[in-house]
Amino acid sequence: MTKCAIDLHELLLRVEGDRALMQDLLSLFKEEFPQRYQALREAVESRDASRVISEAHALKGMLSNLAAGEAAEASAELERLGRNKEIAKFPESFANFERIAKELSRQVAAYMAEVSG
Amino acid sequence: MRILIADDELMSRRLLEKTMQRAGYEVTAVENGRLAADALCKPEGPRLALLDWIMPELDGPGVCREVRKRKDQSYVYMILLTSKERKEDVVAGLGSGADDYLTKPFDPEELKARLRTGTRILDLEDRLIEAREDMRFQATHDALTSLWNRGVIMELLARELTRSRREAKCTAILLGDLDHFKNINDTYGHLAGDEVLKETARRLVSSVRSYDFVGRFGGEEFLVTLNNCDPAFGLARAEKIGKIIADQPVETSAGSIAVSMSFGLLLSQEWGYLSVGDLLHEVDTALYAAKAAGRNCIKVAVPKGQQDAPFDRSTELMRRRL
Repeated sequence: MTKCAIDLHELLLRVEGDRALMQDLLSLFKEEFPQRYQALREAVESRDASRVISEAHALKGMLSNLAAGEAAEASAELERLGRNKEIAKFPESFANFERIAKELSRQVAAYMAEVSG
Repeated sequence: MRILIADDELMSRRLLEKTMQRAGYEVTAVENGRLAADALCKPEGPRLALLDWIMPELDGPGVCREVRKRKDQSYVYMILLTSKERKEDVVAGLGSGADDYLTKPFDPEELKARLRTGTRILDLEDRLIEAREDMRFQATHDALTSLWNRGVIMELLARELTRSRREAKCTAILLGDLDHFKNINDTYGHLAGDEVLKETARRLVSSVRSYDFVGRFGGEEFLVTLNNCDPAFGLARAEKIGKIIADQPVETSAGSIAVSMSFGLLLSQEWGYLSVGDLLHEVDTALYAAKAAGRNCIKVAVPKGQQDAPFDRSTELMRRRL
């Protein structure tokens, strides 16, 4: 069974039961996430620790708001590596983030397709 | 209550905006710290703020520092939103002037509870300002008539004389005293006397321009300064004021009471650099002369040596001079 990338119960609590707002946030995520993801990828590939910190931090905030705990933790790990200048560990950590992020994107797209009928 | 939300991340901003609107706040949302600081530093800006820690242009602690630099404006209650949880980060955030901080992702109930704390503090500030303003009013105004009190009207007169000398303008000083006020008190009682004083004050204020000053000088004595007054019209304006005082009786709880006022008038530009005390002595002498001349009239104080000199103003003004 596939693990839920988003804790929908937690997300509903966060939006105080406002399903329209929840869908609004998910739509925003769909629009915003690819650019943020690409920016993080470029920062990792260029081994630019300060950019990795800022991009990973922004993603962490976005994913936390969405109650996407595992993805938020993976971006937090990249932020931590950036702060500690552990550049050699960037590729492995990003690969882990990428795997989680792809599953998250797939689940969000499926959910949106379901609710939009 | 208005609240400012500053967060560069669109989802976070949307979530905060909706949560706050649902809680009844009027929300202004901006996407960077610079815009936040500018909005909060405006005189009528929001007094509650939720600030993301890391933002472009200016970060959350930077916004707090800018807002705290302002003086003489209402307090702004600021909460930093952060995913930073290390003790030194919290200390730095609060050290920048933030009132509180909240860790992201926030719980809506906790956020609203913390904002209620902020609102309580702002309410307290409002009550303290109101109390201070009441005390300031009481310290500067006469309790019965709400006119400037003696100390303040003398200060205002001194300031106005300095200004009129600098600008080669004229200030007309009018010292008025209600006629037969002791009789009013004795006949109708002190409460009716107070009502007469209050109504006289109201009539005086209504008879001058917004930039003239009216103060209670003593018991039934009132001091009026007609600022930037054309000397050719000083007497005419004083007469108009006297007419407004005496035209209608004052309706009091003890009955209708006829009132009139005697005035001493002094036009500052004729007196060179005499002190405020000396000018008041001269206008008081003129008032005394008006009383001696039968009351309900105006006498103009004229410097010695000019009393017999030819005047370049109307013969009417000359005729009425002391």
